[in-house]
Amino acid sequence: MSRFIATSAIQGAHAVFNEAEQLLAQAMEKLGPDTPVAFPNTAYYLPVIYSFTGHKVERLKDMAWPLEHARALLPPVPQDNLWLPYLGETLDSGVATLFAEEMIEGIRFALGEQPEVRNGFTYNGPIDDVQMRSWGIQMVDGRMPGFAALVGVAKSNEVAVKIVRELQSKGQLIFLCGNVNGRSIVDQLLEEGVELGYDTFTVPFGSDTISAVYALGYAARAAISFGNVAPGDFRQILLYNKFRCFAFVLALGQVDDLKYATAAGAISYGFPVMADTVIPNILPTGITQYEHVISLPFDDIPGKDDLERAERLVQRCIEVRGIKVKIAKVPIPVAYGPAFEGEVVRRDNLQAEFGGKGGLCFEWLTMKDMDEVEDGKFTVVGGDLDAFEEGAKVPLGIVVEVSGRKMQKDFEPVLERQIHHFINGAEGIQHIGQRDIAWLRFSKSAVAKGFRLKHLGDILHANFHNQFGAIVDKIQVTLHTDKAKVQELIEQARVVYQERNVRIAGLTDEAVDTYYSCTLCQSFAPNHVCIINPERVGLCGAYNWLDCRAAFEISPRGPNQPVPKGKVIDERLGEWEGVNQFVYEHSGMNVERFTIYSLMDSPMTTCGCCECVMVIIPEANGVMIISRDDYSMTPCGMTFTTLMGTVGGGMQTPGMMGHGKYYLLSKQFIPVQGGIKRVVWMSQNLKEELGEELKEICAAAGEPDLLDKIADASIATTVEELLPFLEEKGHPAPSMESLI
Amino acid sequence: MPEVEVPLEKWTGKVNEVRLGGNGRQAVVVGGEATFPFLQFEGAIPNRPAVAIEVLDVQPTGWPSQLAAAWGNVLADPALWAKKAAEYGADIIALRLKSAHPEEGDTGAEEAKKTVDKVLAAMDLPLIVLGPEVAEKDNIVLVAASEAARGQRIALGNCEEKNYRTIGAACIADGHVAIAKTPIEINLAKQLNILLCDLGVSPESILMDPTTGALGYGLEYTYSVMERLRLACLTGDGMTSMPMICTVGEESWRQKESKSDIEVPATWGELEQRALIWEEMTASTLLNAGADIVVLRHPKTVEAIKATIDKLMG
Amino acid sequence: MALTGIEIYKFLPKTNCKKCGFPTCLAFAMKVSQKGVDITVCPDLSPEAKEALEAAGRPPIRLVTIGGDKRKIEVGNEVVMFRHEKTFYHPTGLMVRIKDSAPAEAIAKVAGEVAGYSVERVGMELALDGLALENESKDAATFVACVEAVKSKADLPLVLMSSDPAAMGAALEKAADGKPLIYAATKDNWDKMAELALKHGCPLAVHEAAGLGELAQLVEQINGAGIEDIVIDPGAHGFAQSLATLTQLRRLALKKSFRPLGYPIITFPGESSDTVEAEAVLAAQHVAKYAGIVVLDHFSPSMAYPLLTLRLNIYTDPQKPIQLTPKIYEIGAPKPDSPVCVTTNFSLTYFSIAGELESSGYPSWLLVADTEGLSVLTAWAAGKFDAEKIAKTVKDFNIAESISHRSLIIPGRVAVLRGELEEELPDWKIMVGPPEAMDIGGYLKKMWSA
Repeated sequence: MSRFIATSAIQGAHAVFNEAEQLLAQAMEKLGPDTPVAFPNTAYYLPVIYSFTGHKVERLKDMAWPLEHARALLPPVPQDNLWLPYLGETLDSGVATLFAEEMIEGIRFALGEQPEVRNGFTYNGPIDDVQMRSWGIQMVDGRMPGFAALVGVAKSNEVAVKIVRELQSKGQLIFLCGNVNGRSIVDQLLEEGVELGYDTFTVPFGSDTISAVYALGYAARAAISFGNVAPGDFRQILLYNKFRCFAFVLALGQVDDLKYATAAGAISYGFPVMADTVIPNILPTGITQYEHVISLPFDDIPGKDDLERAERLVQRCIEVRGIKVKIAKVPIPVAYGPAFEGEVVRRDNLQAEFGGKGGLCFEWLTMKDMDEVEDGKFTVVGGDLDAFEEGAKVPLGIVVEVSGRKMQKDFEPVLERQIHHFINGAEGIQHIGQRDIAWLRFSKSAVAKGFRLKHLGDILHANFHNQFGAIVDKIQVTLHTDKAKVQELIEQARVVYQERNVRIAGLTDEAVDTYYSCTLCQSFAPNHVCIINPERVGLCGAYNWLDCRAAFEISPRGPNQPVPKGKVIDERLGEWEGVNQFVYEHSGMNVERFTIYSLMDSPMTTCGCCECVMVIIPEANGVMIISRDDYSMTPCGMTFTTLMGTVGGGMQTPGMMGHGKYYLLSKQFIPVQGGIKRVVWMSQNLKEELGEELKEICAAAGEPDLLDKIADASIATTVEELLPFLEEKGHPAPSMESLI
Repeated sequence: MPEVEVPLEKWTGKVNEVRLGGNGRQAVVVGGEATFPFLQFEGAIPNRPAVAIEVLDVQPTGWPSQLAAAWGNVLADPALWAKKAAEYGADIIALRLKSAHPEEGDTGAEEAKKTVDKVLAAMDLPLIVLGPEVAEKDNIVLVAASEAARGQRIALGNCEEKNYRTIGAACIADGHVAIAKTPIEINLAKQLNILLCDLGVSPESILMDPTTGALGYGLEYTYSVMERLRLACLTGDGMTSMPMICTVGEESWRQKESKSDIEVPATWGELEQRALIWEEMTASTLLNAGADIVVLRHPKTVEAIKATIDKLMG
Repeated sequence: MALTGIEIYKFLPKTNCKKCGFPTCLAFAMKVSQKGVDITVCPDLSPEAKEALEAAGRPPIRLVTIGGDKRKIEVGNEVVMFRHEKTFYHPTGLMVRIKDSAPAEAIAKVAGEVAGYSVERVGMELALDGLALENESKDAATFVACVEAVKSKADLPLVLMSSDPAAMGAALEKAADGKPLIYAATKDNWDKMAELALKHGCPLAVHEAAGLGELAQLVEQINGAGIEDIVIDPGAHGFAQSLATLTQLRRLALKKSFRPLGYPIITFPGESSDTVEAEAVLAAQHVAKYAGIVVLDHFSPSMAYPLLTLRLNIYTDPQKPIQLTPKIYEIGAPKPDSPVCVTTNFSLTYFSIAGELESSGYPSWLLVADTEGLSVLTAWAAGKFDAEKIAKTVKDFNIAESISHRSLIIPGRVAVLRGELEEELPDWKIMVGPPEAMDIGGYLKKMWSA
């Protein structure tokens, strides 16, 4: 806590308290103690006082109690020679300040002095209940991200307008109040002809700092209405606002004692305070979600002019409060939507293409620190779409830099894979591939409609915000078409791709303490739970451990939940207490034990969409694996469909198990049964698809020729055909430890 | 004589009790079951399932003649219709703000508010208000309906994953009940309940709508999802413990079996009885799967299903 | 606790002799573990293995066959309380009661109608399963005449209903070859009825309404007489009582393996119903909740069709959804300029799209591709609903012949297929429909012009 701020706030609190006390005494004498006190059109009395204490102020005399309550909260003004931890005192004085301010406004209403009229303009005063509920709904449902209380006066009229416009463009509700030396941001906006009122989401409360209390009154009522919080339960009121109401205070111009005191009140609600002047920062987080007080001296903000500085100021405020941006419509000159995903840009309609055969094109998404990324900044380095001759093949590098408080390095590939899907949604643009085999084609009509490379940035920016807002806060995109630069960057990107490959390969079951679940398939296999560990992909082949982890961050209530391994029960079988418990609870109490390394002892259940089924062939002391694309009869006497009828549906069937095809390449491929050497029969298409990689796996298992010893449907569809083949080839399985 | 000891399940959970209406209106409480439907030998069933009658805010077009004829002139006026429905024995009125659909008139908040006011004034039963099922329009008209019925504890539907926040927020603000609709997936249903609770809607202010289709049109999916939801609830999962509402009438009467007498095989039988049985059988089957509210259309079905519920409640 | 396939396999001879009809012992063992085939089908089982396996493998509810070689139904052998747990295997037998005191023409008419009734739904023929002939006249000759009259009109499984062993004996002389269900042994006549059942090799219904204990006792007596093929009638009437009783019976069989009541149940919903609709609704409850045979007192297509549909719904395997026959489905009465939509043959997908098209006001051609019963996205992901498959569907069913345009609406969820489809179907305009069936009406309104 800053000693300076604490001292100022406590001094300010004392001053405004004294003012309230005097004003109340005068009013009681002039109007009588039974004079009604009410803000118009609200059922919440004086809402800050009501929400904190449950005390209803309906007449002047009802203020006696809150006044004493505020007095009791006031700490003594800090002495120069005494150092105390001031946080508690400062927050208390902030609350006392809000009480005093609210009483002052109440008395002003009783006196007929509210709403304020100044220079011929009638201020709004407090927000009525109907409007509070209407905006409240929008804040709860996320259409309105939060509110900004602007207190004071901006550097210039131009800056005032820019700040308001920026906030409006982000859907923020804007409260205006306060002044510096008699001049207010409201004056600035009115002079510039800015329309103020409910319709434009700008509410001028009043010209003094005291009227800022209306903002806190609004937040208090929202908590009661939408948080099911009982008046008087101040702790819940404050918590609701901290976590649900994305509000912040921006102090413009010099900050005096009263503003510090009022700001202390706002901080107790969890609303961070920013100032465009030099004041001490209060960084440690706790009361607010992130920083408490941030000083952003206006002239020190980087930017080519004041307008750009104003824009950055707003951006920074939004970041500090942790407000997520949603973009309703992708701002590009061509249509956008899933209907265009399958579109093909043909040669005769081709304006330009990047990548493809003989081309040079890559996309690379990388994570940066928060201050290294400027959200929504799109840069094109080199020529743009209209600069190339028709049908040209040009190098392209798409570099996406993202940052986010919850972003992790491991999410990079998960997000990068989305680029394909996002870009394909644009009419007239075709995207194929990924990484350094990406290939983009742009149609003549799209370019004629004004589509330029920058718009790829718009597409990625909007979609990442909308769909991955949980992990991404800022996105900037750079598009390179300069050959030398692309060449240089692609080399760097390839290093990263390789690092990622190594990382995935090195991600072992042992190295993590949490696996993930997938319960997507419970719609038709109600008792099935997939457990996804780093060394086994989901049995549909669609989700690996990293995907699940990202999916959980994005949708914490979704089907991919973390499963802490818990205490190990059997290392060799891969059985853990935590996993058992999770599976038991989520399988409708049907599966009591669950091992990840064994086919024979409590293996994973199967839903119905597995890529492959593995089943033992007892006669050969081995296992066979059939892919879902293989319709042939198999030596176990069952086709894929028959096998699915037996193994599918979430029943544990020892000796049979569904799995993803890449599980074959895992180092933890049925280790209890001896791994790949157990495989005596495999669908032909698997042999073809995974051939090279499989050979490596076989070699690593000490059986370099194993693949040739494994039968398929062209060799054997019965046990009788299979056994002699295995014997002839000298397959290791028959002489291994007995399976059963 | 061999001793027969009927196995009784020791359920740990029960369905939440949800009140609709009250505050001057009649109140209906649904839910509270501590066992599977109507198994009184095993657990308490404190409240009978309720029958709601669906009322549209526009004159229905394309309704089969026997259904339209059963109501006659009141179809042109939702207030009269609701009043008549109350006379026909509805426990609850389910008002569908169909006119707000972009292709059915595209009416807005003002009209919705007026209709809700009118219908509330016309009868004293609890009210359910359903939107046109276009998310953006649902948000507009249901929020207006919510305000108009402030304090009357109506139910507002449907909350779906894309718009539950708005409707949920309106329910919180105005003290109503949210209807959470998810098709054929227990985990999605549960997830939406959790999301609504995260938003601040209390579990006692949520109904679930798992309806997929009528008899012959996917009924078995709804049936099994409902049994699974109830099973999860009874085994103690609080996030699947919301009472269930099924829009039976709407699903039944849109199907060819209930509409058509021409160009259908003779083996379908006579239309009038077939259509009534279609709605009744859909309703009774879903009641047996755990429905706490069935929303019906034909007065005769209402009579028959109320009689069935009487018998099932013993 | 049921044995796993592997555990059963250990008891088998492991000869892969194929005498059981399965290619390998393992395949057979897997099927036994699902209770899909009886362990005794294996001819080479050692006595010890047989004993061990039979105890574990005996179905908790006996499978009972009614009817002769030509037409018969199998009921019972259910293994779960809820269909989602596995499936309900043996659809409830739906029968219609005929009383022998009715006029001969009436008897012949109902018998003929029931036997001839058949209705098509999603490519399946649904029919009633039999007739229950009741000796209401109490006269043996009348009963026999009725049996003969019905047999001449209807080749269906029968239930013979009489409490008089003499009348039953006479009727059986004429009908025993059709293995009818003898209804019913009671505590007064059980020994004679049991004799008849043994003599003719027919299943026997046991009726006792006094209580489940009394019913169990009677069943045990009849078991003692050497009869295993039993159907029980606990005499439960009405909605609440029958639901409670039938639920208790299913639980006793499944959860307690209570042998004396581990048999299929027969009900008569008409006896406690005032109207045909009420009878239909109660019959529906019995189909869903645990009856093996339901005997109706009325027959009309308008009640039979919904009831058969319900039975189809409830007895559909939840893990193997109904597949539609791939073909062109006409929704409404489409004309050459009507829209053409293509979708998968997953029944629910079809129903939602057909329903929306039906109410859209646009008669349409709905092309259903063979995706092995998978829904749009799942089929697409599994490579069973790709551009090639759609093109093949369009060509194979020759939809072009019926229409004057060349526009094809594909599901919005597979918009990615558009480009490929344009190559596969170069003469066609590929339109991308909405992702949700619900929006089809609006989509056609906005986008459709032939």
